[in-house]
Amino acid sequence: MDWGFVFANALTLACIYGTLAIGISITWSSLGLINMAYGFIFSISGYGAWLTAQHISENGLIVILAGVLTGAVSGMVVCALAFIPIHDKPNFTVRGLIATLAISMIGTQALLWYFGPRSKSLPPLFGDWSLPILGMNMTADKVGAVVSSIVLLAVVLAWMRSSRRGLEIRAMMMNPHAAAIVGIGVRRTGFYVMALTGGLAGLASVLLSQTYYIGPFSGITPMIKGVSVALCGGLGSVLGAVIAAGLLGINEAMTSLLLGGHIVLITQFLLIIIILLIRPRGIAGILDRAREA
Amino acid sequence: MTGTWTDPTSAFDPEKPFRTVTTDDYMSPEAIWDETRRFKVPTYGVGRLRYYYKWPGHGSMLWRRLRYWPTRRTVLRFRGEYNPKTLRREKTIVDKRPIWWILGFIAMAIAPLFAPEEGQGALLAAAAVFFIYAAINLCWMLIIGTAGIFSLASFAVAGAAAYGSALLSIQFGLPWWTLPILGSVIGLVFGIIIAIPAIRLEGFYYALLTLGLVELCRVYVIQSKVFGSATGGLYGADSYIPEDWSEHAQLMLGYYASGAVMLAALTLFRFVNGKRLGRILRMAPEKREAFAEAVGVNYRAARIWVFLISSLAIGAIGGFYAAHFRGASPNLFAFDTLLLSLSMLVIGGLGRAEGAVVGTLIVVFVDRVLIDWGPLRLVLIGCLMLFVVLFLRGGLFGIKPQFRAWRDKKKSERRSSRAEKGGEMLPEEATETPDKDLLFFRRFDKMQREFLKKLVTDQVIAEHRQNPLGQHSEALERLLTYFRRQPTVEKYAITVVEPFKSYRLVALSGVRGVAPRLVEDKIYHSPEEAHHGLFLRRVQDLLES
Repeated sequence: MDWGFVFANALTLACIYGTLAIGISITWSSLGLINMAYGFIFSISGYGAWLTAQHISENGLIVILAGVLTGAVSGMVVCALAFIPIHDKPNFTVRGLIATLAISMIGTQALLWYFGPRSKSLPPLFGDWSLPILGMNMTADKVGAVVSSIVLLAVVLAWMRSSRRGLEIRAMMMNPHAAAIVGIGVRRTGFYVMALTGGLAGLASVLLSQTYYIGPFSGITPMIKGVSVALCGGLGSVLGAVIAAGLLGINEAMTSLLLGGHIVLITQFLLIIIILLIRPRGIAGILDRAREA
Repeated sequence: MTGTWTDPTSAFDPEKPFRTVTTDDYMSPEAIWDETRRFKVPTYGVGRLRYYYKWPGHGSMLWRRLRYWPTRRTVLRFRGEYNPKTLRREKTIVDKRPIWWILGFIAMAIAPLFAPEEGQGALLAAAAVFFIYAAINLCWMLIIGTAGIFSLASFAVAGAAAYGSALLSIQFGLPWWTLPILGSVIGLVFGIIIAIPAIRLEGFYYALLTLGLVELCRVYVIQSKVFGSATGGLYGADSYIPEDWSEHAQLMLGYYASGAVMLAALTLFRFVNGKRLGRILRMAPEKREAFAEAVGVNYRAARIWVFLISSLAIGAIGGFYAAHFRGASPNLFAFDTLLLSLSMLVIGGLGRAEGAVVGTLIVVFVDRVLIDWGPLRLVLIGCLMLFVVLFLRGGLFGIKPQFRAWRDKKKSERRSSRAEKGGEMLPEEATETPDKDLLFFRRFDKMQREFLKKLVTDQVIAEHRQNPLGQHSEALERLLTYFRRQPTVEKYAITVVEPFKSYRLVALSGVRGVAPRLVEDKIYHSPEEAHHGLFLRRVQDLLES
């Protein structure tokens, strides 16, 4: 058995899922919104990166930046449409879920209508080289994905720990009411959070598009995976999301190696269900009613 | 505006000419009363008031009720009452929904006769799809609305049942009527499997998990060779529609059979939602489970029951789906289908049967009939859904109560912003006054003073100067009567400093033993002068009040 291959695959997948799941997790815990438009943000940032690669430059850095920017902007649009009008209205959680689903539907259909069903592919962002580490051959896209997602996540986490805005976001995650009382603008912070998580989705999109293609519906599966990772790790816990991303990445790589690719989803969900049956709030989720708002 | 008043006592002395005085015209004291009572607050037309048609009700028919088996309900819920004005017996229909339902059923029954000639096939096929989807949505509404379990897997259950029964029918050549039965068994098994995590998980964890399950089913079906990954679906199951009939007859049979399925689903909805199980579940909505548990409601068992019942029903509908379309397609598991059906529920309004049916009608119409629009029709549905979620609380059928709540809010805002009708006391002062007569007295006093202020004119003052005591015109008499009736505290009086030479004005203390205080330094030299000075002072006070 090729442990090196399994490890490399698991690491790559874990990084990408982690990037997605942390975005979903932060959105849920700070805004109380399950962002189902995440898949749409994912697709549209892929398209943004593709348009940039077509019309402006094929430089990897610029393309990644374009994807992240598109994701951030569309995240803010989603915030303006689905968070701002209803976040103080009754039954916000269900309505927010449905509103983001509706945005997802509108957005993906608009993408389908405008760009057509044919999928696009991005130019290789990290070049064509490969790197032998510990006896295994890490290709450029894998190394690039791992390095860039780890770097961006580290930057985001450092920013959230050290900056004023990050402090506000963390305060919202702990207790939104108290945060509002001490003068943290809920709506403004909502925009920050959605821009941040949208940017993360954009990054994951650009990274995943190295292996898959960009299509109007290409965001759905990654979103569902990201949601399940966030769920498994415990909604609202960054550490849990990282652990769960690692676990599921290993599981996916192992399953596709041992049992075949078509079983991956089944083992994935069995694993998630088992974890959730043991810990109903996820691996690192806070038990009992931490967030009632 | 001035008139002339003749002193009636002049007639006692016919030698002299009649004494006449110029004075005010007669002014009705009720004018102020009417003006004060008039409703001057601007009212805006915020819809009409609730209006119910009052049916005449005969006394002997008072207790006659038409009940329908097996319930003890009347066909229409009436409220009997007496009209307080005519004292006649009247009946009001409290809930008109049964009428609308029956009209809708009649419309559905005769709709195929009125379908336009061209495109009739497409319309009838779309209508059959509408019926089947509405049936599934009704069962799903039991889970989402009644039980409050946010499960997104109901179309997965339907799809699994359709696939399973179609597969069995193809493999073993089973006849069509076994398909719903097989489907219900598969649905029940699926329901049990899905219900296990539902016991432990709550709310969103469950929604996301079921979303994942749907995706799992889709990927599995798309990749599996048995389920027709190559042909894009599994076809060839036995159907209840005979192949040798004409196309029109086949469509009609499909239409009415699907309609019957929807009717069955409606019946199920009514029997689950409107009876004991539904009551228990509405007692324990999300986030209030703890309270329900504390008062002894076993909501967990009820939720599992509803889940299993509706899974069974959805499975049966899935089997019927396979028998209707002669197979199943992976489209049933697609994220778009899930979104569309969720939008049907949301547009109609969560938790209502009519919401499920009308929402399905709207969405299926846009999706299947406006097919020329391409992807735009899904955009339209998405916009509808977004609009409903952002602005309405209970979907289309929640508009009426929401509008009423809004109107009531506006009404009470306006009522509380009215300052004029409250009287002389501030509202909070008024509520804390034990003697409510005081409120009315002050209000009356204010209106009286307003009226009297209008009577104070130069003529009246001139008349009083001329003749402070004795017969007065009507206006002056009213003023003096009012002044006379004032309480003793701070009432003006005349004190005699030196008889017939000097008089001064004082104000009474109102307390026995406490001397009156001097009001002014002025000294009057005759009683008439003093009376007039006192009068002027009182008039002054009245005008200032």
